[in-house]
Amino acid sequence: MPPEPANNPDPRRFEVSKATLWFDRFMGWAIRFGGIGVIIAVFGIFWFIGKEVIPLFKPGAVVKAASVTSGTTPVILGVDEWGEMPFFYSGGNKVVFVDGETGARSEREVPGLEGQEITASSYDPLQRRIALGLEDGRVGSFIVGYERLFENGEPKGVKPFITAEPWFELKNAGGPVTAISYGDAGPTRIMAVKTAEGKVEVIRLGLKGGLVGGKKLSVTAEVDITPQISGEVALIRASQNGQMVLVADKVGKVSYFLADTQGVTKRQEFTPFGGQGLAQMDFLFGGVSAILTAEDGTQEQWSLFRKTEDAERLFGMTKDFPDVGDGRVTFAKSQRNRTFLTGAGRGLSIRHSTSGVVRWEGTVDIDPAAAILDAKGESFWIASETGEARKFEIKDHHPDAGVQAFFGKVWYEGGAGPVYQWQSTGGSDDFEAKLSLVPLIFGSLKGTAYALLFAIPVALLAAVFSAAFLPADVKRIVKPTMEIMSSLPSVVLGFLAGLWLAPILADRVPSVMMLVILIPFSALLVGYVWCRMPLAFRNRFEGGNEWMIVIPFLALAAWIGWSVGPLVEKMFFVYVEPGTGKRIADFSLWWPQATGTSFQQRNSLVLGFIMGFAVIPVIFTIAEDALSNVPKNLTAAASALGANRWQVVWTVMLPVASSGIFSALMIGFGRAVGETMIMVMATGNTPITEWNLFSGMRTLSANLAVELPEAPDGSTHYRTLFLGAIVLFAMTFVLNTIAEILRQRLREKNKLV
Amino acid sequence: MSSEISKKQPRPDFIRVEDFSFHYGEKQAIFDIDMAIPENEITALIGPSGCGKSTLLRNMNRMNDLIDGVRHEGDIRLDGVSLYDPSVEVISLRKRVGMVFQKYNPFAKSIYENVVFSLRVAGRNGKKELDETVERSLRDAALWDEVKDRLHDSAFGLSGGQQQRLCIARAIANRPEILLMDEPCAALDPLATLKIEELITTLKNRYTIVIVTHNMEQATRCSDRTAFLYMGKLIEYGKTVQVFENPKEEQTESYITGRFS
Ligand SMILES: Nc1ncnc2c1ncn2[C@@H]1O[C@H](COP(=O)(O)OP(=O)(O)OP(=O)(O)O)[C@@H](O)[C@H]1O
Ligand SMILES: [Mg+2]
Repeated sequence: MPPEPANNPDPRRFEVSKATLWFDRFMGWAIRFGGIGVIIAVFGIFWFIGKEVIPLFKPGAVVKAASVTSGTTPVILGVDEWGEMPFFYSGGNKVVFVDGETGARSEREVPGLEGQEITASSYDPLQRRIALGLEDGRVGSFIVGYERLFENGEPKGVKPFITAEPWFELKNAGGPVTAISYGDAGPTRIMAVKTAEGKVEVIRLGLKGGLVGGKKLSVTAEVDITPQISGEVALIRASQNGQMVLVADKVGKVSYFLADTQGVTKRQEFTPFGGQGLAQMDFLFGGVSAILTAEDGTQEQWSLFRKTEDAERLFGMTKDFPDVGDGRVTFAKSQRNRTFLTGAGRGLSIRHSTSGVVRWEGTVDIDPAAAILDAKGESFWIASETGEARKFEIKDHHPDAGVQAFFGKVWYEGGAGPVYQWQSTGGSDDFEAKLSLVPLIFGSLKGTAYALLFAIPVALLAAVFSAAFLPADVKRIVKPTMEIMSSLPSVVLGFLAGLWLAPILADRVPSVMMLVILIPFSALLVGYVWCRMPLAFRNRFEGGNEWMIVIPFLALAAWIGWSVGPLVEKMFFVYVEPGTGKRIADFSLWWPQATGTSFQQRNSLVLGFIMGFAVIPVIFTIAEDALSNVPKNLTAAASALGANRWQVVWTVMLPVASSGIFSALMIGFGRAVGETMIMVMATGNTPITEWNLFSGMRTLSANLAVELPEAPDGSTHYRTLFLGAIVLFAMTFVLNTIAEILRQRLREKNKLV
Repeated sequence: MSSEISKKQPRPDFIRVEDFSFHYGEKQAIFDIDMAIPENEITALIGPSGCGKSTLLRNMNRMNDLIDGVRHEGDIRLDGVSLYDPSVEVISLRKRVGMVFQKYNPFAKSIYENVVFSLRVAGRNGKKELDETVERSLRDAALWDEVKDRLHDSAFGLSGGQQQRLCIARAIANRPEILLMDEPCAALDPLATLKIEELITTLKNRYTIVIVTHNMEQATRCSDRTAFLYMGKLIEYGKTVQVFENPKEEQTESYITGRFS
């Protein structure tokens, strides 16, 4: 017998031990700390990305930074690349330099004049070259250079100097030169000249010379183009690529001449403002576009492009800028991008040609007669006829960014119309960045759509099969296998897709088509025949093991499909070579010919298939759990009421598990949208916007992975990539929110009390 | 239906359990049970918890097939035909042998849809037939008056007892021949229990009922025969009056008098 319980039991039995209390308190704080830490981390990420992206949408700003006086009336205004010491050239024999900080003034002689009067001058800020035409018909140039001075290792001030360049005699024309323009592309250069007699000439310069003494710049061709111009010449401009000359006459008719080794040919004549004279005409940076301003202040951009594939490259209007207003028109182009400073009278604005937007607008306190943007685009100088000059600092780090540039259609230089295009970097300095996110958003949607198109049916059917049909012992193998599959590194999948699967599938598209038709069809056929079998025979197989019978038929169907593919190709997908009429049975040639869309080896078909390996296990696992967790007493009730297995699934399991299945789909969607490695390796990464199954795509995530390492920190490109990340996040967020709302509704509807 | 004909002459061994043993994997739950259940009678299965009452009951419509790793020996015959005969279609067997579970389990559907579930899965969707079935079944289950105005509301809006009666209505909607009831009153208050007992007695003429119960009064009140199971074995089986008033076995007596350890 156990001893009787004591009458005065230990009073401490109601106390909680110190250790438990401590542990409880500690865990309380640890959990709080962890939770708050997660929230802080999430907001930290937002803060970081936001910090990178917000500057993209800031408008430009301009502040006055210096004000000096030169005492000369400038025809040409120039400045060093740091914007510190402008020079003023009045068309005479001296160049006046004024220190922007101290106002100190110095002068340099124009070299090689030999006492002749200067009758024409023009300035090319890219080379910092002043081209001159003289009274005696000579043409030439000199370069204004600056040397950086240092004090204690710190840059302090600049020292100007002048470099003389050769002079050339015009052979065909004599007399004073009244207008000149110089275009320099290194080895080939061009000068366009007008003389007092009314002659217009194009002079090509080249490096010629013997072996001794190096090469010498000399005239390689001098072509008189006067006969091809009807009106009285008002403006002439040579392009920076040394190949084009634009000549505008007094009534606003512009003639475009192309100068190459073949000679100088007139390509086009256009009248941008219908008979109205031009106040301004200049090539933009890159030399493919020109900004034209009419006397009434209308401003347009004209660019060279081909209207159709095989047409000539001609000028056409691509953009219409806001009017500059009334007054003397100012123009200065950037030397690093497609920004330009323009205006009329005292009202100035900074505009960007790619997106066609005004970055900044304001008024200044002098009447500008000349203007110049520094080489870095960080400041501009203007000077009035009285010799007053002002420096303004430009705070506009991302002139090529903006809502229009990212999400709108933009007419890029060389294009036949406005398009959505992504091409962030190019081979040359004068490359025009194309920063539309639309093709990337499209790519993400396309990649996700094709991935899910394949994955969702397979994963859901598999989940239903596993949860409702498969015997437990088989399920014990299948489920963990699928879970392991979901942890396959996507780089391995991408590698397989790009290097192994893509080449195989590219050759066997008809086989794949046959598989897509034959496999489901044979499964249905086997199912049909099975139902017609005697019950006694069917009952010999334990419920759920019927798959053993289906497998050999599926394998057979797959084998047949794969083998008859080439035959099908011979019958239906015959490519006829356009020239020879030769017939080739090749789907990858036939598809572009038949549909006009491209066929790429790394295409959506490959992607959808390989993404299946990444997405199917995720959807399968979660959906299977949701279905398996449907209370057994419900499925049992349905079975007891005479529902067959499929009816149990359809009427009981699916409705109850629907919210879980929805979650599975959303997680699968998230996986597909965010998937990067497979997208990088299997899609070809071409940022196109077509749904074509046989072409690739470039997704936002892949774009980030591919381009972020090469984007300079803080550049427009870099920040745009982060904008892409935000867009990706926003897309997922919106879709997930909608899905979550739907899921809650479903759950409410099928709630089990 | 065969039950209509058989009404005249009830078959004494309508359900025959022959040397039946049943295993859940390694664990044997039923040992060599041999018994005959007559038609149109109410047979009660009693015994301590875990003795195998539910297992035996669930074997009568092969619901245990849904559990993995189960195995049986011996046979159960329904009207002379083995349930395990290869020619037996399990689905139609379950249509003949309806079941009410220990815990009520309506579907997340309306009352109406719950009742007509068995008709719908059989592909019978005629509105008239469904409406008639709903009214008949609910009347039989003594629920009609309580729910007739809210047939299309969710079944979860009903009380526990009502839900259990709904499950009974659902089970008899397709007019099975046999009704298996596993502690149908376990979750109910005395009033609801009484209603269900009344219901069971009224159903008796039309159905063969096997009912599992822990309630001795219930067994005496509404059953014709009683089987006492203990640790998977059939200890005693006979007329209810005899089993309760004059048990042959000592174990039976201690159990029904509550002197069971
Ligand atoms: N699915 C199962 N898997 C394994 N063992 C089971 C399973 N179901 C029941 N058992 C076991 O079989 C034995 C009989 O169980 P059963 O459910 O038939 O008892 P019962 O008589 O209905 O008890 P109760 O009165 O508590 O409902 C018990 O020991 C139980 O543990
Ligand atoms: Mg039980």
